[in-house]
Amino acid sequence: MSSIDLAEPAPRTETGQPVLQAFGLSKQFPGVRALAGVDFDLMRGEVHCLIGENGAGKSTFVKILAGATQPDSGEILVRGVKAEMAGPRDAKELGLAFIFQELSVVDGLTVAENIVLGSEPGARGRFDAQSATATARKILLGIGFDTLDPDMRVGRLSTAEKQAVMIAKALCANADVIVMDEPTSPLEEQEVRQLFQVIATLKQQGKAIIYVSHKMREIEEIGDRVTVFKDGAKVATLNRAEATPRELIRLMVGRDLGDIFPAKDRQPGREVLKVSGLSGARIRDIDLSVRAGEIVGVAGLVGAGRTELLRSIFGADEVVHGEVSVDGELVPANSVRGAIRSGIGLVPEERRGQGIVGVLSVFDNVLLPWQEFPDSRRDNGEPEIVARQAVESMNVKTPSIRQRISLLSGGNQQKVVVGKWLTMKTRVLLLDEPTRGIDIGAKREIYKLIHDLAKSGLAILLVSSELPEVLGLCDRILVLNNGYAVGELPGSASEADVIELSMLHGGQS
Amino acid sequence: MSVSASSYDKKSKNSLQNGEGNSVQSQSVWRSIIADRQKLQTIVTLLVLLLMIIVFSFFNPRFLTLSNFQNLARNTAPLIIAASAMTAVMIARGLDLSVGSVLAACSVVAASLAVKGVPLPLAFLAALAFGAFIGFLNGAIIVKMRVSPIIVTLGSLNIARGIAYLITPSAILVGLPPNWSTLGTTKIGPFPMPILIAAVVALVYSWASQKTKFGKHVYAVGGNEEAARLSGVPVERTLISLYVLSGMMAALAGIVLSTRVGSGDPNIGVGFELEVIAAVIIGGTSLSGGEGRIMGTVIGAIIVGVLSNGLNLSGVEPFWQYVAQGMVLIAAVVVDKRVNEGVLRIGRRRPRAA
Repeated sequence: MSSIDLAEPAPRTETGQPVLQAFGLSKQFPGVRALAGVDFDLMRGEVHCLIGENGAGKSTFVKILAGATQPDSGEILVRGVKAEMAGPRDAKELGLAFIFQELSVVDGLTVAENIVLGSEPGARGRFDAQSATATARKILLGIGFDTLDPDMRVGRLSTAEKQAVMIAKALCANADVIVMDEPTSPLEEQEVRQLFQVIATLKQQGKAIIYVSHKMREIEEIGDRVTVFKDGAKVATLNRAEATPRELIRLMVGRDLGDIFPAKDRQPGREVLKVSGLSGARIRDIDLSVRAGEIVGVAGLVGAGRTELLRSIFGADEVVHGEVSVDGELVPANSVRGAIRSGIGLVPEERRGQGIVGVLSVFDNVLLPWQEFPDSRRDNGEPEIVARQAVESMNVKTPSIRQRISLLSGGNQQKVVVGKWLTMKTRVLLLDEPTRGIDIGAKREIYKLIHDLAKSGLAILLVSSELPEVLGLCDRILVLNNGYAVGELPGSASEADVIELSMLHGGQS
Repeated sequence: MSVSASSYDKKSKNSLQNGEGNSVQSQSVWRSIIADRQKLQTIVTLLVLLLMIIVFSFFNPRFLTLSNFQNLARNTAPLIIAASAMTAVMIARGLDLSVGSVLAACSVVAASLAVKGVPLPLAFLAALAFGAFIGFLNGAIIVKMRVSPIIVTLGSLNIARGIAYLITPSAILVGLPPNWSTLGTTKIGPFPMPILIAAVVALVYSWASQKTKFGKHVYAVGGNEEAARLSGVPVERTLISLYVLSGMMAALAGIVLSTRVGSGDPNIGVGFELEVIAAVIIGGTSLSGGEGRIMGTVIGAIIVGVLSNGLNLSGVEPFWQYVAQGMVLIAAVVVDKRVNEGVLRIGRRRPRAA
């Protein structure tokens, strides 16, 4: 194993030469242009931030660097030499290290064992524990984590300490490009400070860092340059001085909404859904109300508690405090069956995994709740007729209602998932990412259906990571941050308003 | 492991020297024991074993005799051998259901060669090679074809049993050479040969799991296969080696067992795999991989052995022994889960600030 001299900064081969470059990287997924001709460069001793909305292309870019995804075109140069990233091991050999949110440490091994894993010291198969401990101690000292005991099992460490182990591991493998994907989201404020100090140390050692983040404050604080992604393309690369939050938000947004959304000509009636003081594992003390004929959006970053809010209302995630009522009647807590009987329907986040039963027919899928809750049926007719009506009213395109649902397109599957709640006396519809993975034409149709359902008197609560969707459909928008409702905006708000509210206003309570 | 154990020693020495720090020191030692799942589990299983010994010796005075302990040691030896190998497989998040049948097939291979006049060492080597070969096939199919180990080794369980019957269609082999039983029945001092072999196997496995790169790789593969792969650990080679070793140790267990009973019987070892897995789990190896210790397994194997030996001596019908063994296994898993959850709660230092 190569030794790392931490006493003096690593030799800087001309500070001006990029250690990593990308030219015209493109990647097409079925129906989505994930990355379009992205150019990028990274200098030694630099922290280069990547920012962009969900789906803007940051993750695809990082995955290509890691060798987890292959680009359709374009090339990557590492230290000026063209690099082929056929798999994760290539990236490692080229000196690229990745610290993802899902930390790849081995809980059962010690800190030292994790750091040297894959390049253990010792002759003839023996594991030289002393030398491993010494190496680990030296590297940890170098990044200011000398309080971490190298012989401690990693499973007992905090997330921040596990991150430090990952960073030390990267240094042990002699990486000179370290990619960090939202490293601070699981950290407390004080741990963030410590991480930033480690990053400063790494910079001094001549390491280059790609830092993916949503948080403006962090980018302002540690970024030397910022590259903004939007819709799979690089919008701009800014220097520290130019990268003000306002400017970054302006660059991230500013897209043509078009007229794929129906006009908001609904007349909200009386209150149907009322949620007061709802608290659970990931949500805190949330109040909200939705009237008949109203669509209320729930916005926030990934992990803000949006899905958990819907699932808690539906009784699928545990509620610790608070109550939910529909039309003034209390919904039994922590009971999905109770929620359904009270007139609540959920269209869950993952259509394939949670929304449909793939091996069953359209008929069986659409009648799942209908057959289970005879007392809550909207219509007591023949099953055949009820199913046909639901399918027709949702405009599902299928050769027969006996068709296996997994053979339909994503958009039509989703319409069946919504349709099953129309066979019931549903008053409240909870929609979680209703258009995820659906092509743009079908999206438009689903927007129209959602609008029509609201117009017919349903109360709708909608979660979406796509801000244009929230703004285009909703009458009001509730913004969540770290489990708290941090504010409410009218449907006429701008994307910048929503982003500002969900990012700028403290993550901590 | 060794480092934490030595620091533990140092601490207790210190606390003996300066009396005032004694209670604080011992408190922290207790906390470290409670917080370390492995240590706690080992202590709990040792206590269970002790309790069983006390109870059985109460029921039958013959239990606590040298000859019974020698008998117990001979009976438990094959279990310790196969369970040591199984522990490593299960730490790496694998499973080998074929060990019972491989044991039978290999002992029949050795016995049939011995009947034909092949010198015993050669016959034993052939059996070991055959066991390694079946293990290699298990590992290669599991790793290269990405098939679940349960399915693959369930298949080879049947295949190996079939082979055992194919070699000796007429049940028990006759005409074994007189020295066939030497290995299984001799004693060195008071120690029966089988238990000495088992002790060597367990010690080597224990040493390798803690002190070699291979051992570290086994824990890494079971704890987080993707992290191991990304760190450059040869994941596939590690897994295949473990299955080869498991097959070989099943063969060794077969040799030990059949030389003790003095026959080459294709019917032996039916249900042996379940005893082996029970010993491993009772010994505290995590079902989800990444954790476990050979010494825990040895205690687990002794518990399984003491249970059947003790029930035998107490005059309990053999059929009830199955019931008892099954209950002990389930109890061990329940305890494992409880201990695990309890430690997780202690280990999590910062509850999410609300």
